[in-house]
Amino acid sequence: MAETGAGLRVRGLTKSYGDRHVLHGVDVDVAAGELVTILGANGSGKSTLLRCVIGLERAESGTVLVAGESRTSQPTSVAMVFQKIDLVGRYTALDNVCSGALGRLSGARSLHPRLFPRSLREEAMACLDEVGLADRAHDPVRRLSGGQQQRVAVARALCQRPSVLLADEPVSALDPAAAEQVMGVLARIAHQGLAVLAVLHQPDIARRHSDRILGLRSGRPVFAGAPSEVDLAEVDALYAVPAPRPSEDR
Amino acid sequence: MSILLPDRPADGAPAPARRLPVPPRPHAGRAGVGLAVVVGLLVAAHVVAIRQTEVSITALIDGWSGITRFLGDAFPPDLTWDTVVRPGIEATITTFWIGLLGTTLSIPLTVVLTVLGARTTTPNAVVYQVARAVMSFLRAVPDIVFALIFVTAVGLGPFPGVLAILLHNAGVMGKLWSEAVEEMDQGPVTALRTTGAKRPQVLAHAVLPTVVPQLIGLLLYRLDVNVRSSLVLGLVGAGGIGFLINKSIKLFQFDEMLTYILIVLVLIVVVDQVSGAVRRRLAR
Repeated sequence: MAETGAGLRVRGLTKSYGDRHVLHGVDVDVAAGELVTILGANGSGKSTLLRCVIGLERAESGTVLVAGESRTSQPTSVAMVFQKIDLVGRYTALDNVCSGALGRLSGARSLHPRLFPRSLREEAMACLDEVGLADRAHDPVRRLSGGQQQRVAVARALCQRPSVLLADEPVSALDPAAAEQVMGVLARIAHQGLAVLAVLHQPDIARRHSDRILGLRSGRPVFAGAPSEVDLAEVDALYAVPAPRPSEDR
Repeated sequence: MSILLPDRPADGAPAPARRLPVPPRPHAGRAGVGLAVVVGLLVAAHVVAIRQTEVSITALIDGWSGITRFLGDAFPPDLTWDTVVRPGIEATITTFWIGLLGTTLSIPLTVVLTVLGARTTTPNAVVYQVARAVMSFLRAVPDIVFALIFVTAVGLGPFPGVLAILLHNAGVMGKLWSEAVEEMDQGPVTALRTTGAKRPQVLAHAVLPTVVPQLIGLLLYRLDVNVRSSLVLGLVGAGGIGFLINKSIKLFQFDEMLTYILIVLVLIVVVDQVSGAVRRRLAR
């Protein structure tokens, strides 16, 4: 396993909604240069874990360290790509990517895409090139396919210059080919030095692209390891549900 | 055995379709009683309203002769160019300017009320309540009452009409715009918040670009309404074609009045068509 000092370290994360305990002291390590995938059934706490890591939900206890320091002291160090592609449809791909840098911009020049500094626009072009969409920079994102839009969302996250990239079911709404492309991009940028933590529902895609897989059930990690080490039966057990049977009281 | 499909007999004949009794709809009886109560209350409210407003078919029939006499006096319309048609067109254009300026000048106040009065953009609950109260007040006071107040303050003419439309429209459009902002998809807002974007940046890059087409559509709808309202404001001295219509009624010059109404009709149709076309284009 890679050294986690420069990546993400989560310790003892606990979260409840009323009486329902969603996360029970979860520990996760993602090293810089590593793509870790979390698998688990709906309601197992995967998305809540990511939302607590980035600060969209407040965890009751636990620590989130990025490169050894508290995430709250470096708010732009963690970027996130969502399942529902939350781009601004009227903006071009380039303008959407530029908006990833808003955390380090200030003043009137940060309030309209046309006022963004040239250096930012050039950096955003490089991010678009990273995801293979430099030639679509000036297209409004609503005209792009779902897979292309998700890659623009990844480019926007890159433009934030994060140390850690979270991806919450980034391929759930995509066809298999687009899903492969997006996961390929995430794996490549992880191997360039980013710590990437993705939540997936597709064990086969997770096996192909991840460096490690973490199984989550009812808010507790149940297994972790390299794809070759993870037992298929354990993965199947994550999604095991009683088979539906015709009702017998006819 | 397949879970979804019935077993097929060995001879290949289709198996009889499997059926299950449909369970009763939960609370169906209670919903029926609730519907009956609502319908009963509505009927009772309308009966009371008819009595209170003295709605009477016989009074309408009795007054028919008065209506025919009025129409007889109005037809044919007076089409004298110098004394009726030209002043009518000029006053109608003034009416349009009142509606246009009142709508446009209300935008800054409306933007402030929208940002402060939408749950998703307001800084806190107190500011939200104050903004909603201001909008409610501006909506509750009819534009004609504002016009009467401003006529006494700044005198007769189109200016009090502009001020009246400005204030009333800020209340109505603030409500419409803030609801549009509240109903927008919060996804882009959340996504930008995670980048570390500050509040004005989120407003500028997530809220505005998402809702601007809706806001412009509502603005054009309000322009349409305000042009018609500015006509009524003329009746209380706020200038424009309403002023001329009021004058012709007081002087029993109903043929002149009909000419003015026909000119107004042209204005209303043109504004309606243009704003409708722009709104349809924005909706694409």
